[in-house]
Amino acid sequence: MYQYDQFDHAMVAARNAEFKDQVERRLKGELSEDQFKPLRLMNGLYLQLHAYMLRIAVPYGVLSSRQMRTFAHIARTYDRDFGHFTTRQNIQFNWIKLADTPQILEDLAAVEMHAIQTSGNCIRNTTTDQFAGAAKDEIDDPRPWAELIRQWSTFHPEFTFLPRKFKIAITGATRDRAAIRVHDIGLQLTDKGFDVYVGGGMGRTPHLGHLIKSGLPGDRLLSYLEAALRVYNRYGRRDNIYKARIKILVSALGPQEYARQVEEEWATLDQAQIDAPHAEIARIKSFFPQPAYAEKPFDVASLERAKAADAGFARWVRNNTLAHRRDDHVSVTISLKPTGLPPGDASSAQMDAMADAADRFGYGELRVSHEQNVILPHVAKADLYELYRLLDQNGLSSANVGKITDMIACPGLDYCSLANARSIPLAQDISQRFADAELTDKIGDLQIKISGCINACGHHHVGHIGILGVDKQGEEFYQILLGGRADEQAALGVITGKGLSAEAVPGALERLIKLYLELRTDETERFIDTVGRLGREAFAGALHEPA
Amino acid sequence: MKLLTANRLTDGLVLWYVEGSDLSGWTEDAALATRLEDEAAALLLDEWKARETEVVAPYLVPLIDENTLVKREYVREHVRANGPTAGQTAFDTARQHQRGEVF
Repeated sequence: MYQYDQFDHAMVAARNAEFKDQVERRLKGELSEDQFKPLRLMNGLYLQLHAYMLRIAVPYGVLSSRQMRTFAHIARTYDRDFGHFTTRQNIQFNWIKLADTPQILEDLAAVEMHAIQTSGNCIRNTTTDQFAGAAKDEIDDPRPWAELIRQWSTFHPEFTFLPRKFKIAITGATRDRAAIRVHDIGLQLTDKGFDVYVGGGMGRTPHLGHLIKSGLPGDRLLSYLEAALRVYNRYGRRDNIYKARIKILVSALGPQEYARQVEEEWATLDQAQIDAPHAEIARIKSFFPQPAYAEKPFDVASLERAKAADAGFARWVRNNTLAHRRDDHVSVTISLKPTGLPPGDASSAQMDAMADAADRFGYGELRVSHEQNVILPHVAKADLYELYRLLDQNGLSSANVGKITDMIACPGLDYCSLANARSIPLAQDISQRFADAELTDKIGDLQIKISGCINACGHHHVGHIGILGVDKQGEEFYQILLGGRADEQAALGVITGKGLSAEAVPGALERLIKLYLELRTDETERFIDTVGRLGREAFAGALHEPA
Repeated sequence: MKLLTANRLTDGLVLWYVEGSDLSGWTEDAALATRLEDEAAALLLDEWKARETEVVAPYLVPLIDENTLVKREYVREHVRANGPTAGQTAFDTARQHQRGEVF
């Protein structure tokens, strides 16, 4: 993984010293809250419903075991012993004290991490495929490009005060696991360069990104992004926060006109001053080698015996492992969705256990997925059972990846000051309702995504089943969306039926799933495919109790 | 009738204003919050907005009567007064104060 050079260290240290001084001045009353608020937000510190929340950037979701242990240390020392992995591959701590923040940022800097640009109208953490560098279907590794964008966008003076926040996602595989079509800019690596999608996003007015450029050479990426951001920065709607994202500009201009303006701007730029030289691209790529794979003899019969003897292990192998570029390895997803517990949360002990698992079985490397799980990208098949047992001892062996209980859920009104309704308790109720492993396996792949407000941090627009919490005169209601997906066939879900109370949602989902099981052609037809074949109207009636 | 609430500057925790309390006017226990008449509440709010080294973002929570929140504010203020309602992450405010939920 990338390692800081002297400039990275110096920049982060200078920012931390500056923020430490700002915190001290705020505590002494030398800075007002109005003066201090934008400064703390620039360092990832929000004031939420119950306390300060610190959002820490996990660059493109890549973590070392040492960094994961630092998260455990922060959870234990400064928080209430847990952290929350987010839908943007970051981590949030919900109970941070203002006075502790400078020390936390110093602890993070010691392991080459920070919380810069995790808030504000700037370019946020670039996200990517959690299986980057490992997946069998990968065309090119997106991590060096994500790192290049990180370096270009960090403290970029022109893009520090954009009309609104800006999110970039990259995928390098045939299957889109980074949801690129619902990002401000989505980049698809192909064997001919980058395909550039612009104007995607969720929130109040969801849009799918439009392809505006194909085959962009990697060595021209930064100048093209600079041109795309410049057009947005110049013409984005600063007068109306609800219309300030790039999706509104692209929609208003039309994708072709926006693309034309970007090309025009691109032509005026001194591209050689912006684009990274080949030597720099090569230097960054050198930080992302394949691990020194252990040549461990793998005995298929032994694995099969273990699976036959332990049904939980067999299910975990079936659901939580993904084909690796090497036949003797797999990628393992550690589900943070145990039955009845908040999606994406991990205790300090679990963080330490995941770090141990990475050191013992995963070459010290971990990833955070936007589905709020943690991944060991490279695990020898010979180690699978031992890894499973370690995870099982730490409550980390839920075998539900990609299934109905592997839900995305934002923190919702239990923590977030923007939310209108709670997300986590609803996710817990659904998780308990579908706790039967045989049933969830029978249902097959199904993605439920829950947001506690229209801002869509829980990605409800692209859930096979999306759930949006709304407030109606002081009561929580939940609208159900059907037919969304975030993959290479991205589609936005459509609100179906009337809003439901929290108590009514699990029963509605049960009826919906029962109908799906009756209607699907066979067990290979996934829920989303059945909805696509029959139309969401075929399912609308199931959402409500029969009269 | 209103309650005055804010977050403590140093740790961000939710506070409720208590009249005549020994706790510098603020407590973490929503059950102890003083029910304020509207005019007095508005004056106190202005006073605490100016005292920024102690609390952040003070505001008034409207009540219908002594123990009933205005309905449109109910969910947010109920969660804020009682702590997160969610699973392993719940901070059981009620247990901390050895009482049941408020509101």
